Amino acid sequence: MALTNLQIISLLIDIFAAAILVTAFLIVSSRSLVFYIRLFAVQSFFLGVVAFLVVLGYGETHILIAAVLTIAIKAVAIPVVLTKVIERLHVRKEIDFIVNVSVSLLLCGVIVILADSVANSILSGQQDNASGVSRVLSVSIAVMLIGLFIMMSRKKAVTQIVGLLTMENGIFLSGLSITYGMPLIVEVGIFFDILIAVLILGVFVFRISKTFESISIESLRSLRH
Amino acid sequence: MNDLFAIIGQSLLQLLLVLATAPLISGIIKKIKARLERRRGASVLQPYFDLAKLMRKEVVVSSVSSWLFRATPYLVFTSTLVIVLLVPTVVTPVSLHWVGDIITVIYLFAFGRFFVALVGLDTGSAFGGLGSSREMSIASIIEPAMMLAIFTAAVTAGSTNLSVIVDNLTTTPASMMNPAHLLAFSGLFVVALAETGRVPIDNPATHLELTMIHEAMILEYSGRYLAFIEWSSQIKLMIFLALLSNIFFPIGMATTWAPWALVVGSVAFFSKVVALAVIVAVVESTNAKLRLFRVPELLMVAFILSLLALFLYFIVGG
Amino acid sequence: MNTILFALLLGFPVIGTILCGLLHKRRVLERVSTICSGLTFLSAFWLIWKVVQETNISSPDGWWYADGLSAYIAVIVSGSAFIVTLYSVGYLRRQIRQRKVGGPKVWQYYFLLNAFLFTMMFVLLSNNLGFLWIGAEATTLATAFLVAFYERESSIEAAWKYVIICSVGIALALFGIILTYFSALHVIPAPDNALNWSSLMLVAKELDPAVLKLALIFVLVGFGTKAGLAPMHTWKPDAYGEAPAPISALMAAGLVNVALYAIMRFYILVNKAVDGGFASTLFIIFGLVSMGVAVPFVFLQKDFKKLLAYSSVEHVGIIVFAIGLGTPLSFFAALLHLLNNAVGKTLLFLTAGNIRMAYRTKLMGRVTGAIKVMPVSSTFLILGVFAITGWPPFGVFVSELTIISAGFASDTPVPSLIFILFLATIFVGFINSTARMIFGVPRTAVKGHEADPFSLVLLGLLLAALLLLGVFMPSSLQLCIQNAVTVLCG
Repeated sequence: MALTNLQIISLLIDIFAAAILVTAFLIVSSRSLVFYIRLFAVQSFFLGVVAFLVVLGYGETHILIAAVLTIAIKAVAIPVVLTKVIERLHVRKEIDFIVNVSVSLLLCGVIVILADSVANSILSGQQDNASGVSRVLSVSIAVMLIGLFIMMSRKKAVTQIVGLLTMENGIFLSGLSITYGMPLIVEVGIFFDILIAVLILGVFVFRISKTFESISIESLRSLRH
Repeated sequence: MNDLFAIIGQSLLQLLLVLATAPLISGIIKKIKARLERRRGASVLQPYFDLAKLMRKEVVVSSVSSWLFRATPYLVFTSTLVIVLLVPTVVTPVSLHWVGDIITVIYLFAFGRFFVALVGLDTGSAFGGLGSSREMSIASIIEPAMMLAIFTAAVTAGSTNLSVIVDNLTTTPASMMNPAHLLAFSGLFVVALAETGRVPIDNPATHLELTMIHEAMILEYSGRYLAFIEWSSQIKLMIFLALLSNIFFPIGMATTWAPWALVVGSVAFFSKVVALAVIVAVVESTNAKLRLFRVPELLMVAFILSLLALFLYFIVGG
Repeated sequence: MNTILFALLLGFPVIGTILCGLLHKRRVLERVSTICSGLTFLSAFWLIWKVVQETNISSPDGWWYADGLSAYIAVIVSGSAFIVTLYSVGYLRRQIRQRKVGGPKVWQYYFLLNAFLFTMMFVLLSNNLGFLWIGAEATTLATAFLVAFYERESSIEAAWKYVIICSVGIALALFGIILTYFSALHVIPAPDNALNWSSLMLVAKELDPAVLKLALIFVLVGFGTKAGLAPMHTWKPDAYGEAPAPISALMAAGLVNVALYAIMRFYILVNKAVDGGFASTLFIIFGLVSMGVAVPFVFLQKDFKKLLAYSSVEHVGIIVFAIGLGTPLSFFAALLHLLNNAVGKTLLFLTAGNIRMAYRTKLMGRVTGAIKVMPVSSTFLILGVFAITGWPPFGVFVSELTIISAGFASDTPVPSLIFILFLATIFVGFINSTARMIFGVPRTAVKGHEADPFSLVLLGLLLAALLLLGVFMPSSLQLCIQNAVTVLCG
């Protein structure tokens, strides 16, 4: 049975969205900082592909520039910046976890269920009006919450940046899924905000490592209360 | 009466096919690994010669072991043969499909594993016990992962019967590319690596006892006992490859016992299995064996991938 | 006409930023910054005057918008910025003399200060919710290096915490904005218009309540992080403690109000779209939690600026609580409190900066007998502390009293009782810590001396304003706040 173009594109969007979720899980399961950055680059690339697919399938051309920016900034520029930061710091691995890998993975599984119920409550009143991509909303909320989880459960500073960026990816995907993306100017502004935030955080990570022995968040305990 | 003969004949055919070709698949994997390491490697038929050699050799049995030691190779072999009868390989409605479904298969695997683990303890050697405990802890994570991965396919088909699952997919090819299916495939792939004791979970070619898991349990076996155990492992590998290829990509499977369909089916089946075998060999060659305390992390990833696959089926819609 | 006004309000800070980036001589920097912030302040007065006459104004292209609420807060924010800039002149000169800061740091400071003001005005004046978000994130970025200004270990640590926590919060707020956009798209066909405040208010009744409730939660948590609402306030003590005193003052008086503005906008929208007291209950809970969280820390604090940070958390809680009460009287009180808090915090932070520079320490335990060493500053300090904790005859007392009466006038008096309890305990803790600082014998050998007269005059003006607000309500002020209240009522 032949599939219409739209069906093929929907299928591809589903696959890539699932792949984005899988990369988020792999970040949670891994210990290597370099791997985190690579996974993030792959994740952003898939996100850009999803954006392109939305443009192709639903004709929302204003996301085209956003898609290009996603790939250029998030899949290329930011990973390069972060890799340079890691190289200078000679830190490779996240060693101590606040929550160990197996438990983290299970918690992320629970998060996916939670995200699904949240997404359902959002979409419940709008079934007939929902955009064609709204299935992906649960995945995007899950990615956002997993990004938040990564930030809370890991200690190294670079990992927290990756967690923040994963969160932003999830939010962008959610924007794509229910609204086909916000107006172009807004999206561009958001991108540059994120880029500058990463640069600033990168500078701080440098300075933290110069003043502390490691870039572990645990050493940032002196300002307790 | 005719039906009965047909069923027996078809089942025997399937059994003979798998029994005959399992060592070949094992040989192919070893050959590819060798080539990737820039060695010539043994011939792909070497496992046959090894099995034949082992059958002729004398059996040495520890004096402190019990009847379990002598019975287990046959128990494991028989249970593996039963599994072969239940898994669709070339033809899709397997003749004995009403005997058992996927849960039966999983429990038959567990049956074999149970006895092998006991044998590891039976001989009284320290390494055997070491292997048994490791194997059991791996199994505790792997079994649910395997169930979940296949359940994802089962939920789509509405039944846990393997033949029904496969049939369902042949009629709706588009659902093969479903993200839930792809995730379940990757989860089951890691499970397959774990169950058959491949790198990165366990190194099947290691001779260092402290790094062994599966090998440690069967360390004391020799002669024909070892031959049966080895053969069972090879059949197990082939069954997993068959499951992976047929549950998720049942292309070209024969639906009748007509000769032409059988030829096409066999070609399709073997190409898929060999392709998967190549992938397994490449994965084994490009990864290092994980340190033991890291293994549960990897297995947890497999479990979560399978769980995610199930979620995604409900979330994104099969 | 409107376009010119908006251009001025946004343009002066931009010009200031660019000029400070290009020119690095100290005198030039001082002059440019003070002139630009002063002109922005004046333009804000023009804005509020216009808004009083025309209820709301927007630019022709629809990107910029101002009504009673945004104009009122714009005046407060630009006023605080102006005073802080004036004070920074003296502050930095003293720092340079003490060799705490060198050449490049000075122009970076003024550059970022002007940029900070620009981003705050950007948030206040944008009609488009997406722009609002961009501006809010930009405020975090502009202040990041200001918090890390002294480049000590603790400063960088504080700045890191600040950027990370606020970015997380802002990201959640973005999700809330996306949800709002989603619900709006069904009602407003033109996608570019669907994020505009003016359009949203017109169709508020038709928006999906369930989605908006969820959006409000995300936005409250998100922008609440920027404002320092508990439990997202954890960055505040460190950031306020480590930043230079004028910056802490501007953050406590300006940034807090900008974040509260964003929260208030969503409150108005959601209140219109959703029946029942959902928004109100949420706000009351968060408000009381913030006040409650401040209580133990006020007793435990050893660092004076961190103490002030917790006071800021408390006051943000008070304002949010008042908005949650939902009556025009409580709105009036909340907005009045906004003003009082801004003036009071500016006064306290700047005075604290004086004392700190003289005593070279942040810990209150080491600072004793300030009354003998720096009589003027310490008088300001003790009076400021009285003011901020709600003593008559200062302004804060009036606004808190109004909130309490509005609270008792509503259905459940219990929240108001909790409110009074928290106020009282915080007062005790505050006075306890500060009194030890002021009185007693100067323990350590104090090298410092009183600040320069100009700065002291500024502080005196602030104190006088606080006193004035406590006894007398100028009719123009009342009119402005009334206008803003009307906006809040929807």
